Amino acid sequence: MAEISLKQVVKNYGRTPVVHGIDLEIADNEFVVLVGPSGCGKSTTLRMIAGLEDISDGEIRIRGRLVNDLPPRKRNISMVFQNYALYPHMSVRDNLGFGLKIAGQSKKVVAERVDEAAGILGLSELLDRLPAELSGGQRQRVAMGRAIVRHPDAFLFDEPLSNLDAKLRGQMRAEIKKLHQKVASTIVYVTHDQIEAMTLADRIVVMRDGHIDQVGTPMEVFNHPANTFVAAFIGSPPMNQLPATLDDGRLRLGDGTAIALPTRLRERVRAGQKLILGVRPDDISPEGHGLLEEGEHDTIDLEVDIAEPLGMESLIYSRLAGQEVLAKLYGPRLLSPGERLTCRVALTRAHLFDADTGRNLEAD
Amino acid sequence: MFRAIRTRQTTLAPLVLLLPAFTVMLFVVAMPLAFSFYTSLTPYRLTRPESIEIYIGARNYIRLWDNAAFWAAFWRTILFLAIALNVELLLGLGIALLINKLTWGQRTLRTIMMFPMMFSPILVGFQFKFIFNDNIGIVNNALQSLGLIDRAIPWLVDAQLAMFSIIVAEVWMSTSIFAILLLAGLLAMPRDPIEAARVDGCNSWQVFRHIPLPFLMPFIFIAMTIRSLDVARAYDIVHVMTGGGPAGRTELLWTLIARVGYNNARMGEANAMAYVSTLLSIAFTVFFFRKLMAARRYMGGAE
Amino acid sequence: MSRAVRQRVQAVALWIATFLLMVIMCIPGLWVVLSAFRPNREILARPPVWVPERLTFNNFAKIFGLGDAQVAIPVGSYFMNSVVIALTSTFVALVIGMAGGYAFARFRFRFKNSLFLSLMLFRTVPGIALSLPLFMLWSRLGIIDTQMGLIIVYIALNVPFTIWLIDGFFRQIPMSLSEAAQVDGCTRWQAFWKIEFPLAKGGIAAAGVFAFLTSWNEYALAAQLTRSTDSKTLPVGLMDFTAQFTIDWAGMSAMAVIIIVPALILTFLVQKHLIRGLTFGGVKG
Repeated sequence: MAEISLKQVVKNYGRTPVVHGIDLEIADNEFVVLVGPSGCGKSTTLRMIAGLEDISDGEIRIRGRLVNDLPPRKRNISMVFQNYALYPHMSVRDNLGFGLKIAGQSKKVVAERVDEAAGILGLSELLDRLPAELSGGQRQRVAMGRAIVRHPDAFLFDEPLSNLDAKLRGQMRAEIKKLHQKVASTIVYVTHDQIEAMTLADRIVVMRDGHIDQVGTPMEVFNHPANTFVAAFIGSPPMNQLPATLDDGRLRLGDGTAIALPTRLRERVRAGQKLILGVRPDDISPEGHGLLEEGEHDTIDLEVDIAEPLGMESLIYSRLAGQEVLAKLYGPRLLSPGERLTCRVALTRAHLFDADTGRNLEAD
Repeated sequence: MFRAIRTRQTTLAPLVLLLPAFTVMLFVVAMPLAFSFYTSLTPYRLTRPESIEIYIGARNYIRLWDNAAFWAAFWRTILFLAIALNVELLLGLGIALLINKLTWGQRTLRTIMMFPMMFSPILVGFQFKFIFNDNIGIVNNALQSLGLIDRAIPWLVDAQLAMFSIIVAEVWMSTSIFAILLLAGLLAMPRDPIEAARVDGCNSWQVFRHIPLPFLMPFIFIAMTIRSLDVARAYDIVHVMTGGGPAGRTELLWTLIARVGYNNARMGEANAMAYVSTLLSIAFTVFFFRKLMAARRYMGGAE
Repeated sequence: MSRAVRQRVQAVALWIATFLLMVIMCIPGLWVVLSAFRPNREILARPPVWVPERLTFNNFAKIFGLGDAQVAIPVGSYFMNSVVIALTSTFVALVIGMAGGYAFARFRFRFKNSLFLSLMLFRTVPGIALSLPLFMLWSRLGIIDTQMGLIIVYIALNVPFTIWLIDGFFRQIPMSLSEAAQVDGCTRWQAFWKIEFPLAKGGIAAAGVFAFLTSWNEYALAAQLTRSTDSKTLPVGLMDFTAQFTIDWAGMSAMAVIIIVPALILTFLVQKHLIRGLTFGGVKG
């Protein structure tokens, strides 16, 4: 139940900087997901919030209080670790109650709160087991239970689902979301999985190389990626990115293919500017098989290299200007390799990036 | 300001934790070694205390150069270690492979194997002195009772047999550490690659050569490193079994040091020899420790 | 030969090999133990007596000076010296080793590998080589022939390997457990005692046994740094049985049993952890 604020936070390991002065304001009860490839500094940032790493420079405040020099135990936060970090020599009950016991709570309070948390997470039957006797999903739940019994100001999650198999991961994702609704609280959640980010977050923070590339709601990040990195990282399969130049009011790709310049971007392009055209596979579809049949569009011819039927839709692998391009066909229909398709490119949802800086021309 | 202190604390913590360890080592090992280095530059004799103040430079070391007894002991020590360690390694590997094949009783055998490791070296020496005794030793008794020999074999009196007996004692005491560590390695080894190699048509030797052996290398190096920490305990065995005899034919560096230092009271000279033996041990340990580090990196476990 | 027969033969050969191995492993020790319970007359008998006619505790009674004792070897004081010296040095070495092992396992600092190696190198100095200066220095400090003198030396002897083992055991415990405890409200000190120590307990006990046995069994240094019943330990006392030309085999065997039995019991108790510690400390970086 607290806001967290990071100001110009820097982390250096020796002389190597891993986090380069990031700013982030997390509101009360907000679910914020830090997402990025490994080594982007997201876990380090989380660990600095937790107090497990020293802050090299800058300020971190929790509930307005400067916590830079406070050890983890004085920050009133709780954390769920990637490998759960359950205490192997304690029963589930003792794992859950450990923090309260350390805080000097009476036996009665500990028992009540443990039972409450166990009830919320469906652990009541398992209280006397040791962690080694639990399944992966159960361990995950115990780790979450340990976090909630203490009624902390904020929950920190460090890639909590990455050790689970795909099916369980989906379930636990839903449980975490439910938990956030039941136990209103501020959550900072680190993952490298953009699906987790999209499904869980109130706001996504995309990080790369120790910098924040973009902060926004899942829809903002998805619909208006700030740069080519975010565009490629969020969304699966990733957005097609084709180098292009402006030629006579049209976008010309490397092999001479011309695509119309989206009207809304006309003012933003400079003559001679090197560009990257970004279009998601969902927005390139054979005519009559698209999601978006309205609005401004252009057409291109694609030859099917491989088609992957996924049921209601098919993924088409093709080539354009010497580069692999993905397109999507909606509605069940068989495709054969070599088949030529005329595809609509939904220009309303196409993006242009500066090829040198990678920045979205619409991002300011 | 506060931050500066906190960061300093986290770098200070390991130093504080390591301080007692290094203090003890400096007081009990480094300082005496420095002192003994100084005495190795004097003609110090226990019987003439004032001789510790006479500085003679490297003369003790130069004299070692021409000292035939020293060189004989030096090379005998190297040979002794080379034979003992190789036999221990091969036997240990054999035993590990053997036990690895067994379907039951592995744990019991492993426990039994630990016991020689825990014997006092002085006791091992005594034990084998007893066993190899020419009159009452079990070896001669057995051979004679079986009618294989008609006269007692002078195990500890004949120079070559004495060396052999000492090596047997050393091997008996130290093979376990190899066997146990290599067995642990074998038990930890994934099975799939071996099966894959078999399917690929390797014969047993080829399989062993390419799959378990490289996997076992780090374990071999740990065993060697642990062993190298304490090679000089062979002193105890030799001391009891032959005392370096007959006629200095089983004299190793370590027994020679004891003889020169304590029996002849020539501390300066003994300390010079001690330095050589120390450097030998250090070289040995560093060599295997490096190999161990390289093997770790190769296994991807490092840092 | 059919496959089944060949497998049969292989299995039998395996068992024969294992049996021989065990015989070779066990006979030297068993022979000494057996001799400890036989009269000296029988040990020296020619032709050899293979099957003992009767077993006796006389050898033990004798070395402890009970009954018609002729040999005046103060085994009782040696035993006490050994116990006091080994226990004290083990305890101190464990405390120092826990601090050091924790530092190596849990902190990043400069020259870490070199420091670790240098600790190990202190251990490689041959006992006899170290005994020369220690003999001279301890005489000057007046702690020669005292339990204290030997305790200090044995602490140093045990610290490096104790650190090696304990470092390995702490490394097996994920760092995140301590971190979780700290987030749960512990200081680092509490997190250590409540989480990491209980989990490493078995390993620390194994390291302790290893240290105890090193002290218990050591001879080269003790032989030079002790000379009377004030501080002589069992291994040094063992040499009391060897006169210039004769050896009291029966008495020596009895004393050997006294040295071996505690060692065997302790080894048996912690063998599982010991093997884990030896391998883990080395392999996983």
